[in-house]
Amino acid sequence: MSNIPDHTGALTCGLRDFFAAADGRGLAQAYARIAAAGATPPPPADWDETEYAFNRLFVGPGPLAAPPYSSVYLDPEPRLMGRSTSLTRAVLQAVGLESTWIGSIPDDHVAVELDAALALRNIAATTGPGPGGELAALRRYFVAGHMARWVPRFADRVLGQLSLPGPIVTATRKLELWLEAELAALPPDAGAAPARDIPQPSTGGDYA
Amino acid sequence: MSGWDRTRMERTLENGVTRRGFLKGLALTGAAAAAPCLLLRALSADANQRFGEGYQVFRNACPRNCYDTCSIKSYVKDGAVRFVEGAPESTYTHGGLCVKGNSYVRYAYSPDRIKYPMVQDGRGTGRWKRISWDEAMDRIAKKILELKQQDGSLLGLALTKYSGNFGITNYGVEGLMSSLGYTTRLVGTPCWPAGIDAQNFDMGNMWCNDPEDMTQSRYIIIWGANPAWCSVHSMKYIYAAREAGAKIVVVDPVLTQTAAKADEFWQVVPGSDGALALGMCRHLLDLGLHDAGWLKANALGFDAFAAYLRENVTVEWAAKTSGVPAERIRAVAEEFARAKPATIWIGYGMQRHVNGGASVRAIDALVAMTGNIGKVGGGARYGHLQTWGFNYHAMIRKPPEGSKGFVGAAGPKGEFDFAQGGAAVKYTDRALNINKTAQEILDAKDPAVRMLWVSCKNVLSQDFDRNKLLQAFKKLELVVVADHFFNQTVEQADIVLPVTTLFEEWTVNVSYWHYWLSLNEQAVKPLFESKSNIEIAAALSKRLNELAPGSCTFPTQLDTREWMEKEFNKKVYELFGIQSWEDLRKGPVKARMPQAAWSDLKFGTPSKKYEFTSDLCAKNGNNALPVYVEGRKPYDKLRLLTPHSKFNIHSQFQNLDWMMGFNPAPVVYVHPAAAAERAIKDGDTVRVFNKTGEVRLTARLTANVARDTLLMYEGWYKGLAFNCQNLVDDTPADMGKFKTGAPGVAIHDQFADLVRA
Repeated sequence: MSNIPDHTGALTCGLRDFFAAADGRGLAQAYARIAAAGATPPPPADWDETEYAFNRLFVGPGPLAAPPYSSVYLDPEPRLMGRSTSLTRAVLQAVGLESTWIGSIPDDHVAVELDAALALRNIAATTGPGPGGELAALRRYFVAGHMARWVPRFADRVLGQLSLPGPIVTATRKLELWLEAELAALPPDAGAAPARDIPQPSTGGDYA
Repeated sequence: MSGWDRTRMERTLENGVTRRGFLKGLALTGAAAAAPCLLLRALSADANQRFGEGYQVFRNACPRNCYDTCSIKSYVKDGAVRFVEGAPESTYTHGGLCVKGNSYVRYAYSPDRIKYPMVQDGRGTGRWKRISWDEAMDRIAKKILELKQQDGSLLGLALTKYSGNFGITNYGVEGLMSSLGYTTRLVGTPCWPAGIDAQNFDMGNMWCNDPEDMTQSRYIIIWGANPAWCSVHSMKYIYAAREAGAKIVVVDPVLTQTAAKADEFWQVVPGSDGALALGMCRHLLDLGLHDAGWLKANALGFDAFAAYLRENVTVEWAAKTSGVPAERIRAVAEEFARAKPATIWIGYGMQRHVNGGASVRAIDALVAMTGNIGKVGGGARYGHLQTWGFNYHAMIRKPPEGSKGFVGAAGPKGEFDFAQGGAAVKYTDRALNINKTAQEILDAKDPAVRMLWVSCKNVLSQDFDRNKLLQAFKKLELVVVADHFFNQTVEQADIVLPVTTLFEEWTVNVSYWHYWLSLNEQAVKPLFESKSNIEIAAALSKRLNELAPGSCTFPTQLDTREWMEKEFNKKVYELFGIQSWEDLRKGPVKARMPQAAWSDLKFGTPSKKYEFTSDLCAKNGNNALPVYVEGRKPYDKLRLLTPHSKFNIHSQFQNLDWMMGFNPAPVVYVHPAAAAERAIKDGDTVRVFNKTGEVRLTARLTANVARDTLLMYEGWYKGLAFNCQNLVDDTPADMGKFKTGAPGVAIHDQFADLVRA
């Protein structure tokens, strides 16, 4: 589905649910949503190994192999509830929204950010870019200036792990493709640099 | 705004006013557009007002096992702690924190924090699944009820808890156990018990002067402590004393950072401290520099002590035993006796020996015979619990009606067992020695220990003989661990429960060293699904009472702030000169006590005097007099020391990325001569081994340790298997059982050898 935007939001929702899943059942259901939005390899018969691996990567209780939070990748200090978390919260607040997890799970969890991107797209579709292009600018900032700066690094961290169960590989690759499509679907902006050309922060601790 | 200049956009977003006006005029349909977005909802009005505003300031207190127990100010913005600083209102904390305290934001917001209740499919496999709190409580409750049904009591359930969180409400963990009935408790303390008993025998309590009075000391001996790393706030008083003319002497087996700052450093043979102190006493006796007037008025048994010294102790013997030159022993003893007031800071390291209690008594005797007890700037400083007079509302709980338990003698359950001395009861908890946790679990019968609750403690990093501990864990049918991070004990757990950090719970803290009281406010919502220990207790009680009404007396619902309030009482308010706990919101307050312990010279001993001759000590299996007791015979070629590092408190903090950045891996310090004998070069990987086990790590060559000594700092490093307890056995110290329920451990009486790996 490279560069084909997720018009219906089905893939976005499937990816959101996958990365927000609390157990193997949730992973299986989310994987089915991802599959429904486009071709995927068949799911495993037993989701236990996927759940164990998912927790090693994203949940714990051990140190996370790939923390799913933007602040870990973008902020000078690779921790939770950092500046990037606040910026994601601010993006949501600018359009009158907030995370249902606010205060307990950082707002910049990849699942919340996928929902935020979907909401921004839907708002733009309803209201247009705004009188001065503000909404378009906000959306472009969030997708190209924020998510595009960390999601690829997050995906690299995931895919750099050995012996990953197939659904996690598939979901992560779909996430990469989703981002490419979302970037391609942004309205043109003459003054913008390509998102991937934005310099990466020089610091980032052991999660960088 | 045209374009999407990132920096400009972020500035807009970070400014609450401009952000709110940014999309003004646009008919937003955010809530409707977010219909498929299950993780989003319409913004609450007050949230939009709050975001981006100034910092809220909260009061916190470091609850770790540390002398300094720092009073902290936490700055919260957008619902997250942004930075911390030492509270300036406390003259002790004085606006500064140590390297660990300064890392607290990283601690609370580490991506590695335990986030959810989780269950491990096979202990040690790393196959973890999330479970809900309800499911976790259900599993635990059913196991507890199964034990009770099968054994007829809950002695098959053991609690091991120690110093990971000293916030007073966290004694609710013990309260939970008492609410269940009579359980098995791992009692005692690996930290300081021999010295506690020693000071109780000598003076009737452990009670140190206010550390802030060291500015008035004319002579300070720091004996087996390293405050430059482990009590950084005390150093300013030591420096101030020196600036006023005091001399600073450090006695330590290692050239520590504190030793490096001293005027004189004695690299003492480990375990010979008693001989050294007694040699000093003998010299003062010979010169008549003891304070005869003070001794006559305030001491019991000095004549017997003097006779012992004359018959058994010489300065030359002390020098030979301790490795300190006789002329320096004489000189420093004279200086100490003549410089009034003079004080000795007795560190916890020097009592972690088979003769540790006896050594503390010998040092106490040196301070007492020079008349320095009860004086500002004087004192034999070890620690105190004078300011700990809380209600222990969370801890003191009644068992359910009809509970059955252990029939036998009950003793103290550690030094913080403030529930001692109640009415006679038919049953008690079963006490096992915390310092022999592995062997005690292996040996426990009728009933066996089948379930272990671990809280505020990292058993597999801190308890002794790790290999034996792993065997003991195999006997356990259920291990529940409540913690912040995935440490070596969580690795061996069946169920892990996420607990709140200091920023996420209400409690109150005092120190075992300084005299300050600090409020700990909940500054932010608990991250993820973490709960405080008392909330966990309430949740478990709720499920137990659903399954078996009346099976747990712990309340099933509670307000953590109210429970913090319930810890206060009139005496606490009077001691600290406050009307209400709310006064602490303005900052920490200091106890209104004399700066000098025992200033009225009314000691807590049976004779009400300082007891050189202690019948109580003799009754507890030791010598009545503070005599020299031989150290442990070496069982391998080199002595092994495993003291505290600058970067951690036991197994806490070292796993954080800041600490791993500065101190990425453990090393063993080896004297160049010992290394040369083994063809070991600086940076080589070595295998350090003894009869208990082995570790592999990097060798660092330094003359800061003696030729026959190895040193590796204790600690739990993220992602590393290193564990110094592989090399530390559970041989007991000579004292500790009297006041803490179990003797201490001879942590520094260990021996080992090493080879290049």
